[in-house]
Amino acid sequence: MRHLFIIFSLLTLLCFNTEISAQQKKVLMQGTVIDKQDKVTIPGVTIMAGTPLVPVGITNGNGEFSVSVNEGSTLVFKYIGYLNATHKFDGKLKFNVIMSMSVNSLKETVVVGYQKKTKEVSTGSSVIITGKEIQDVPVGNIMELIQGKVPGVNIQNNNGSPGMRGSINVRGLSNTNVTGSGSQAFLTPTSPLFVIDGVPVDDNSGYSYGFDQAGPGISPLSMIPQEDIERIEVLKDAQATSLYGSRGAYGVFLITTKRGNSKVPVIQYTSNYFVNTPPRLRDVIGGREERMSRINQIMANDTSFYHGLNLVNITPFLSDSLNAYYNNSTDWQSKFYRQTFNQTHNVNISGGDQTFNYKVNTGYYDEKGIVENTGFTRYSMNMNMQYEPSNKFKLFASVNNSLANNSKGSGSGLLQNGIAKGGSASSLLPAPSLFSSTNSLLSALETNDENKTVSVTANVELQYEFFEGLRASSTFNYAYVTGTTDTFLPGYLNNGFNEVTAYNDRKNTAYNRNLLSYNKSINEKHNFSAYVFNEINMTDFRADMIKQKRTPSDQVQGPLGADYFNSLGGTLNNITDFRSVAFAGSFSYNYDTKYVLDLSYRIDGSSTNGPDAGYSKNPSIGLRWNFNKEAWLVKKDWLEYASLRLTAGRNIVPTGTIFDVYGRYIANGSYNQNPTVGLDLKLVPNTGLTPTETTQYNAGLDLGFLKGKIGLVFDTYYKQVDNQLREKNLANHNAFAKVNTNETSLVNYGYELAVNFRPLSENSKLSWTIGINGAINKDVLTALPNGARELVDPGGDTDQQIFRRLGMNSLSNYLLNNTGVYANNSNVPVDPLTGLRYRTGGNAADQTYFRAGDPIWTDVNGDYVLDNNDYVVVGNGQPRMTGGFTSYLAYKNFSLNMNFSFTFDRDIMNNALAADFQRYADPAYTGKGDFNGLVPLDRYDVWTQPGDMAVYPFPLDFTRYARYRPFRFDQTLFMEDGSYLKFNNATFAYNIDRKLTKRWGMTSVRLYVSANNIHTWSNYSGPDPELVSAMGRDNSGGYPNRRSYNFGINVQF
Amino acid sequence: MNNKYPLAPAILFFGLTMLIILGCTKNFPDVREALGEDSRFTNTQYEPILGRNSLFTDNFFVGNSSQPLNFKIINLRRRDGSAAPELTDLVPVSVWKQPYLGDEKTLEEIEAKRVVENHPVFEIREHSGQFLMWANSSPLIKTQPDSGYVFDVELSNKGGRRYFRDFKLKPIKARPYEPSNQDPLTGMETSRYVGVSGIQPMYGEKTNTIISPRELEVYFRKDTLKSGEKLKNQLTIQVLDSLYNPINPDKFKLTDWKNLLHGFNMVKTAESVTYDVAYPIPLINYQTKYTNPDGTKSRLYLSYDRIGFGGFRQVGGFYLDFSIYDPGKWNIIIRFNGETPKFSND
Repeated sequence: MRHLFIIFSLLTLLCFNTEISAQQKKVLMQGTVIDKQDKVTIPGVTIMAGTPLVPVGITNGNGEFSVSVNEGSTLVFKYIGYLNATHKFDGKLKFNVIMSMSVNSLKETVVVGYQKKTKEVSTGSSVIITGKEIQDVPVGNIMELIQGKVPGVNIQNNNGSPGMRGSINVRGLSNTNVTGSGSQAFLTPTSPLFVIDGVPVDDNSGYSYGFDQAGPGISPLSMIPQEDIERIEVLKDAQATSLYGSRGAYGVFLITTKRGNSKVPVIQYTSNYFVNTPPRLRDVIGGREERMSRINQIMANDTSFYHGLNLVNITPFLSDSLNAYYNNSTDWQSKFYRQTFNQTHNVNISGGDQTFNYKVNTGYYDEKGIVENTGFTRYSMNMNMQYEPSNKFKLFASVNNSLANNSKGSGSGLLQNGIAKGGSASSLLPAPSLFSSTNSLLSALETNDENKTVSVTANVELQYEFFEGLRASSTFNYAYVTGTTDTFLPGYLNNGFNEVTAYNDRKNTAYNRNLLSYNKSINEKHNFSAYVFNEINMTDFRADMIKQKRTPSDQVQGPLGADYFNSLGGTLNNITDFRSVAFAGSFSYNYDTKYVLDLSYRIDGSSTNGPDAGYSKNPSIGLRWNFNKEAWLVKKDWLEYASLRLTAGRNIVPTGTIFDVYGRYIANGSYNQNPTVGLDLKLVPNTGLTPTETTQYNAGLDLGFLKGKIGLVFDTYYKQVDNQLREKNLANHNAFAKVNTNETSLVNYGYELAVNFRPLSENSKLSWTIGINGAINKDVLTALPNGARELVDPGGDTDQQIFRRLGMNSLSNYLLNNTGVYANNSNVPVDPLTGLRYRTGGNAADQTYFRAGDPIWTDVNGDYVLDNNDYVVVGNGQPRMTGGFTSYLAYKNFSLNMNFSFTFDRDIMNNALAADFQRYADPAYTGKGDFNGLVPLDRYDVWTQPGDMAVYPFPLDFTRYARYRPFRFDQTLFMEDGSYLKFNNATFAYNIDRKLTKRWGMTSVRLYVSANNIHTWSNYSGPDPELVSAMGRDNSGGYPNRRSYNFGINVQF
Repeated sequence: MNNKYPLAPAILFFGLTMLIILGCTKNFPDVREALGEDSRFTNTQYEPILGRNSLFTDNFFVGNSSQPLNFKIINLRRRDGSAAPELTDLVPVSVWKQPYLGDEKTLEEIEAKRVVENHPVFEIREHSGQFLMWANSSPLIKTQPDSGYVFDVELSNKGGRRYFRDFKLKPIKARPYEPSNQDPLTGMETSRYVGVSGIQPMYGEKTNTIISPRELEVYFRKDTLKSGEKLKNQLTIQVLDSLYNPINPDKFKLTDWKNLLHGFNMVKTAESVTYDVAYPIPLINYQTKYTNPDGTKSRLYLSYDRIGFGGFRQVGGFYLDFSIYDPGKWNIIIRFNGETPKFSND
C-alpha cells in the first residue's frame, strides 16, 4: 500500500514536472530527520529553503517531512538545541537527515530573570541539564540524578526514603544554624529556589525536609514525573539569580516541562520496571556464638572469676540457653529490609505548532521502600498549552496535578530510628510475634502510616506586544499543596493504649508578576533591552494535628470515645502567613554581541522584614566580553568561542517568621477564672530583622575549541552570606528569654570547572562524549552574634559539640584527640609530682586510671586528668571538593551512558561504628538501654594483649567501661575521611530499527536497562559515606540508599 | 592587541580575578583564639607546707577562653619586693617517671620509677594553671608567720594575653611527719606525742579493763646521722610499755608484719621491727594494701587475739595512719602509758 502511494506520488510529481517545467522545476523532497546520538526521529523540525531562507515545511510527529522546492535548492533544517543541518541537492529525492545536538553551549538559550536570551549575551553563571540526561533511571526525586552533573552544586543523597530528597547546596554552606544536638543535630537546609514552569516553589520548609516534623515529608520536586522534564537550568551567581531576588540567594533551579511542537500529535509511552535491593547490611553475630561471646567476655574480664561466674549464672539469657525464649538466632535485619519490585508508567501526549500547542503528561510512579512498610506512589497529570495567534499576542497556561501517597513506617522521613533500634536487637531474642518481640519491630511493621500529598498548580501567562520591541506580560499562578497523615499505633504495641494521629496541612501560594519589556536594536550593532516588573507573592501555611490516645479498641480507630485527658490537638506553631512584594528593573546592552553589560536593581519587602529594616535593595551588575569576536581572533579556526564574564550582585532570602518580628500572644492560663491572653515571653520581638543577604562576585571563562571537541567553563566566586538569623539567649534577668537577630556571616569562595570532550571525529560511527566537572569550595565564618569570636553548641546525647570560630570553617568538631592505644601500662603518662597515672575526671566513683588497651587521648591542658578541658577543634563536615564525570557512548542503535560523582575532603563522624563497639559495654545487659546484638570485630585493628599497637581500644573491658568510655562519640578516632567516588548509574539502551517499528505502527521503540547506585569507592569504614547528615555525622538510624536495576521501554507513536 | 598570544587577555583577566579573590580573603577575620573576660583564678593565696609535694588544683576557671592556655609565673618576689632566688633557682627534686602501684618487690624497683630532676621549687603547670610546690624544706624559704611571697601570672593563648596580679604564696613550715604535734606557725612541738588513729578493745594486764586510746602515745623519732654514717632509709617500729620496756612484737600475733608497710628486708627482734623503706611514706596518694582507704596515709595495724572471759575470742589492737616526708632513719614508738595489754588467754 505504502509503495503504491509512493509510486503514485512520484507519478504525480512527474506530471507536475511536465506542467511547470517551463518556469522552475519543482521537486518533492522526502525523508526523515533523525537525532545523531539517540537515533530517534525529531518532530517539529523547521525546513527552510531558498534565498533568503523561507520556511517550507516542518517534520511531522514521526520526524518525516515532505516538501516541494525548486530543483537544486539547498534545504536547511533548524531545530532548537541542534546544529542546523544543510542538505545540498544531490539528485536524491528521498533521504534521511541526521541532526546532532548543538555542543556550542553559547548558543543555548537561557532564561535569566524571566527573559530568554542566548548564553552568548548572558553574563551570569548557569548550567543546563537537558531532560534526556535524567530519563533512564527511575527515581522519585529528580535531584538524585543531578548529583555530580553541575559544578558547584553539592547534592548528597543522604536520604533513601522514597519520594524524599537529600541535601542540595549551591556553592557551599549558606546557613550555619543547627537544630537539635547530638544524634538529632540537623543543619538548616538551604536548598535553592525551584521555579517550575515559572512557578516558584520553596523546598526549604521543614516539612519537605522530612526530619522530626509532622506531615508526609514529600518534597515538591517529587511531585513532577521525570519524563515530563524538558530541561533544568541551574543559576548560580548573583547576576543570574538577581531577578529571582526575594528567594534566590541560595541559587535557582529553573525546571521547564515539555511542550508540544509537532503538528501531528505525538504519543510517547515510557515504562520502567525496577528492582530495589537493600545495600549490604551489617554483619552480626548470631545465636550461640553471641551467647558464647558474651560469656567469654565476662569470664575473661570481670574483676574475679567467681564474680564473673555469678554474673553469668544470674543472667538468664546467658545461663538458660535451653529456654525457648532465649534459644534463638534471629536475623533482625531481614525482618526490616526487603527487596522490592516497582514500576512506573508515563504517557505524554503532545502536539501543535508555533500558533497553538499543547501537552498532557500522565504518570504513575510506584516505589516500595527497601524498609518494610515504607513506600511512595505518585499519580500525576500535567498539562500545558500555548496559543500564539500572532506575533503580538501569546497565552500560555498550565495545570499540574499530582497526588502522592507515602508511608514512613514508624520513622520520620529522614530517620528510621525504630528500625535502627530493632534491626540491631540481640539475636538471642525471639523472632517477632505479638507476645515476644521488641516493640520497635512490630511498630515498624504494624503502624498504619498513611500520608497523602496533593499538589495543584495553575499558571497563566499573557503577553502582548504594543509595538515592535515593547512587550507587556503578566503571569499569575497559584499553587496549593496539602498533606495529610493518618497514623494508627495499635494498643498492643503501646502498653495497651492505642494512639491515633491525624495531621493535615495546607499551603497556598499565589504569585503575580507584571512585566514590561522593551528591545531595541540599532544598526544591528547596538542592542538594548530593558524591562521593569513588579512581583507579589502570598504564601500561607497552616498545619493541624490531633493525637487521640486510648480509643475504645484497636478496631475503633476514630477519635470518638477517646480519653480526652491524654489527647492532644490543635494548630502547630509553624503557621505562617507570608507576603512579599518586589519591584525590579533591568537593563542590558550589548555591542554586536561582543561586549555585554547587564544591570539590574531590585527592591524587596516582605512581612518578615522588620518595620525598622525597611525594604532590602539588591543591585547587580554583569559584564561579558566575547573576545573570540575580536578581529585578531575571529579568523582562528581552532577557537570556536571564548568569553569572559564578570558579575557582582546581591540577593536575599527571607528568614524567620512574623513572630520573630512582632512577637506573639498566647493563651496565658486563667485569671479570676477568666481565660487570659498574654505576651509570649520566650522571644522578644525584633523589629529590625532583615532577610539573609548574599553578596556574590563571580568571574567566569568560557572556551570552546576545535568545533565542539573541547568545551570548557571555569568560574570562580566569592559569596558572602550576611544577616543569618540566629537565636540568641538573653541574660536571665530579662523578662524575655531569647531574641532572634541577624548577626552571623560567612563567606564561601571557590572554583568550578566543567570540561566537555568529544574525542572522536564528527564522521565517526561511534560517538563519545565525556564530561568532567568539579568544584572546590571553602567556607569561612566571618561574624558571630554579640561580636563573639567563637561559639560552642552543646553536644547532646553524643557529646559531639559543634565549634565555630571566626576565620575558620563554619562548623568544626570539638573532640578528644585520639592518638592510638596504650600498648602497655608503662606507656601511660605519670604525673611527675603526684606519681599518679593519667586518669579520667569526674567524681571519685567515675574515675579510672588509664592502662594498656585504653585509648590515648591527648591531655591538652597537661593536668593528667581527662576532662572537658581536653577537647580540640578539628575537622570539617562540609565537603571541600565535589563533582562528577559522565561518559556517553553511542554506536549505531546502541548507547551506553555512565555517571559518576565524587566528594573529596570531608570529615565524617562515624557514629555507627562507635555504636557498634559500644555494644560490648554490657555483656550481661544489666543496664538500661537497648538489648543490642553484637557485631564481629575481627575486621578492625583492636588491642587484645599487652604490646599490641592497635587502632581501636580494647572493647571487652566492661567493668571499667562507664568510667572511661573508650568508644565515646566525641573523639577523633571516629572522625574519618568521607571522600568517595560513586558510580551513580549506567544505562545501556537500544533503539529498535525504525523499519521494524514502522511495521508495528510505532515511530520509535527504545529499550534500555539501567542500574542505579552501583558502587561507592571509599576508605570510609562505615556503610556509606554519603548516607550521613549534612553535618557529616553518620547516624545509623538513616534510611539507606537502595540499589536498583531497571528495565525500561520507551515507545513513541 | 597582538596576534601572537591570543589567549593573553584570558590569562590577564584571571590573574586579576585571583588577585581580587585573594584580596577578599585578606579581609577575613584572623583565626584567633578567644581569651574570655570571665577567665580567672578562683584562689589567689596559696599556703603549701614545705618538705612535701603540693599540688593546687581546680584553681582556675577557664570560662570562655580557648584552650590550650599558657600560664607563666612572673615577678616572683618577696613581700618587700626583693627577688626570691630560693624559689626560682633550680633544685634537685624527685620526679615520677613510672607509676607507683604498691606491688613493687624491691626498693630498687621503686627507685627505678623515679628520677631526680632540677626544678624551681614553685612552678605553675604550663597549660592548666595548677600550682605545684616540690618537696623542699630549705631554711631559706620564708615561712609563716612571715608574709611570704607575691607573684603575678601571665595567661596567654593565640588570641592574646592577660595578667593576673598579686598572688600570695605563704609557705608553712615543714612538718616531717603526720599526724604532727608541731605548731604550724612556730614550728615548736605543742605536745610530746600524738595519738593512734583507732583502737580495737584491748584489756589491761592488771585490771582487765579496757585500755583507752588516750593511753597510747606515739612518738616519731629520727636518728641523727653519726659521723661517717651513710644515710639509710629505714623505719623501725617499737612498742613500749609504760616503763619504756619494749614489748615483743610477736605478741601482736595477728599482725601481718610482712605487709605492715611497703618496706623490705624486715628485721624483727624481740624489741622492734625494722624495714628498709623508700620515702616519703606513703610514696604517693594512691590506695594500696599498705594505706588507709583513701590512700593519703600509710596504715600500721598491729593486732592480736586471745581467749577472753567466758571463752570468747577477743581481737585487740590499734592502727595508726601516718606519713613521713623526710628521708632518714625513723622510729615510730608506740608507748602504752598506762597498762600493758593482756596477751594471754583467760
